[in-house]
Amino acid sequence: MRNLIAKLALAAAVLGGGISAAAAETANIWVRADGSNFMPRIVDAYNKAHTNQIKLDIIPNAEIIPKYGAAAAGGTAPDALSLDLIYTPSFAAAGQLEDITDWAKSLPYFSSLSPAHVKTGTYKDHIYGLPFSADASVLIWNKKLFKQAGLDPEKGPTNWAEIAADAEKVNALGGNVKGFYFSGNCGGCNIFTFTPLIWASGGDILSEDGSKATLDSPQLRGAIDLYRSMVKKDLVPAGAQTDTGANFFAAFAAGNIGISPSGAFAIGALNTQYPDIDYGVTFLPGKDSGWSSFAGGDNFVVTKGTTKLAVVKEFLDFAYSLEGQTILAKYGSLPVRGDIAKEALKDLDPRYQIAAEAMAKGRTPYSVVFNDLINSANGPWTQMINEVFFGDDVDGAIANAQETMQSIIDQAPQK
Amino acid sequence: MTSIAAATPAPPRARKLVGAGRRQWIGLLYVAPAVALVVVFFLIPLGMTAWMSLHNWPLMGEHSFIGLGNYAAILRDTRFWNALKFTGYYTVIVTIAIFVVAFPLALFVERPRPLTNLYRTMFFMPAVVGFASASLLWSWLLNVDSGLFSPAAYDLGLIDRKFNLLATFQPAFWSIIAMVVWKVAGFTMIILMAGLQSIPQDLQEAAVIDGAGPFARFRAITLPLMRRTLALALILSVAGSILAFDQFYIILRGGPRNQTLTAVYWIFNQSFVSFKLGYGAALSMVLLVILVALSLVQLWLLRKPEGLD
Repeated sequence: MRNLIAKLALAAAVLGGGISAAAAETANIWVRADGSNFMPRIVDAYNKAHTNQIKLDIIPNAEIIPKYGAAAAGGTAPDALSLDLIYTPSFAAAGQLEDITDWAKSLPYFSSLSPAHVKTGTYKDHIYGLPFSADASVLIWNKKLFKQAGLDPEKGPTNWAEIAADAEKVNALGGNVKGFYFSGNCGGCNIFTFTPLIWASGGDILSEDGSKATLDSPQLRGAIDLYRSMVKKDLVPAGAQTDTGANFFAAFAAGNIGISPSGAFAIGALNTQYPDIDYGVTFLPGKDSGWSSFAGGDNFVVTKGTTKLAVVKEFLDFAYSLEGQTILAKYGSLPVRGDIAKEALKDLDPRYQIAAEAMAKGRTPYSVVFNDLINSANGPWTQMINEVFFGDDVDGAIANAQETMQSIIDQAPQK
Repeated sequence: MTSIAAATPAPPRARKLVGAGRRQWIGLLYVAPAVALVVVFFLIPLGMTAWMSLHNWPLMGEHSFIGLGNYAAILRDTRFWNALKFTGYYTVIVTIAIFVVAFPLALFVERPRPLTNLYRTMFFMPAVVGFASASLLWSWLLNVDSGLFSPAAYDLGLIDRKFNLLATFQPAFWSIIAMVVWKVAGFTMIILMAGLQSIPQDLQEAAVIDGAGPFARFRAITLPLMRRTLALALILSVAGSILAFDQFYIILRGGPRNQTLTAVYWIFNQSFVSFKLGYGAALSMVLLVILVALSLVQLWLLRKPEGLD
């Protein structure tokens, strides 16, 4: 008994001593579930090498925004947040984020940080978010099926006509095999993989500053016709029409889809979870030539008024080091520092290089109401893509979406 | 001295008053937990909702008082009224469907017969599954590529091309109705069964002696005597249907093409997708008023007719 008490006392002394001796600060950081692969790794690496510590919480994708809003209202928001970059303008507009302009500009490698991230991280000429993780949209194809269909397995499609022709040949294999897959009822998936087809052909769906919806363009119409023709020829599984994103990756991973637009994340996911699938990665092409990509991923934002600013900056500095960038790349995010991207990726699957190149030239639409316009399952973009790919009235659907999107933009709070 | 003198004549009456007062206090003490629950979990949130509905209240950032601005915006919000219209349509259809299935089931399991308990349990089973779990189960059953209905029909050769049940309005809507009836009919059946069992047997027997046929007995005895049970089942069904959300969110995401957005779904979207909490609160108040009004109308329609009992 006395022995036990002595042990307890000793333990208490050690614990107490440990806390007072370190005198380190702990900052709390949230990340959405998409980052659950790389984020714990980089936080672990940081915690091992520093006296200051990071406490990481992983929040389900769909809940992170409302949860953060509720926490901010209750004064229990995390010190910083890895935030889907498209939300940065609306968070900044709400006055929720710390202005980190001076610190950002003092970074020696500021100019080589992912431009798409910095653009969405900037609100009214002040910087509120810096790139953290990155994902670029690309086109992937199944080399085994290409070979079976008599196509060159090493050559992916480079324009729309080739996409349609290759998909049709693969589809002709019959059985469970289908030529092409996309999530036909998922706004987020299609802004990521469908709009690059439009951009690469010279069109756009929003004006540069996000103040005008520009859906009525021949480029959008052309890209729609490409998808419609493939649906009509039955090259796309029937489930695509109602897929709200659940099968965005899973459909291709099952191994019987010829071509699918996807993202850099698929490289890591296929290599680790589906090593049997032999696939190629190429750019999302324009109608005749050229290519484009959606630069997605997370911005790192700091909650306004946090007392742990120094820890947060130290952590971000670490993430930007070659060591940090390599950890991120190894576990599923593209590097966000252009100047050391090649080095961070040099030991990894060479297909990442294509994605990194796509990322460097990637684009991101800018809007404070992105969620309402695009990502919402009931928003105008999601409704339109479903109608134009599978419905009968393409012109009506586009006109309707144009009108609804413009009215949402016009009704957004002007601050 | 004066105080004692003044106090002496009073005791009997005072004591009586104190006693009555104390009894009242004890009574209050007994209901206090219930009152506290209602206050904390209903009245205070209700008050806060009403207060929020008068503000422009974003999820993040400052909120500002805008009076009845949100309510004025609701009048112009055609998508909310469309959602309400769809909710009404759904409520009517699903309530009829539930009763059409539940009433025969109740008549069937009311009398003791071999295996009655087994039937009762079987029919009631789906009611114990949560709506969200049931929706997930059915969203898999209804999946065109990896589910049950469409692939099974295809493999049996009933259709020559897999049919996506969730892609167009009619099949999607009726799939949801089927799922809700499967899930809720058992519960309604139990309520109706209890009502049926409370009807005295001798009334039926007297009617039989008077020569009333089964249909006449059902119309003149069973239905009138089940008035209250029917009211309960009806109000539960209507209120539940007007607040429908889970199944449309999980199985259909409000689709195809936003044709199955219910009122609660719209409130959810405004509050947690567009982050307009104040507007969502105002919509909730409107829905509350509609629900209370509908329940009152139902109670009035099914009130006890004068002169009876």
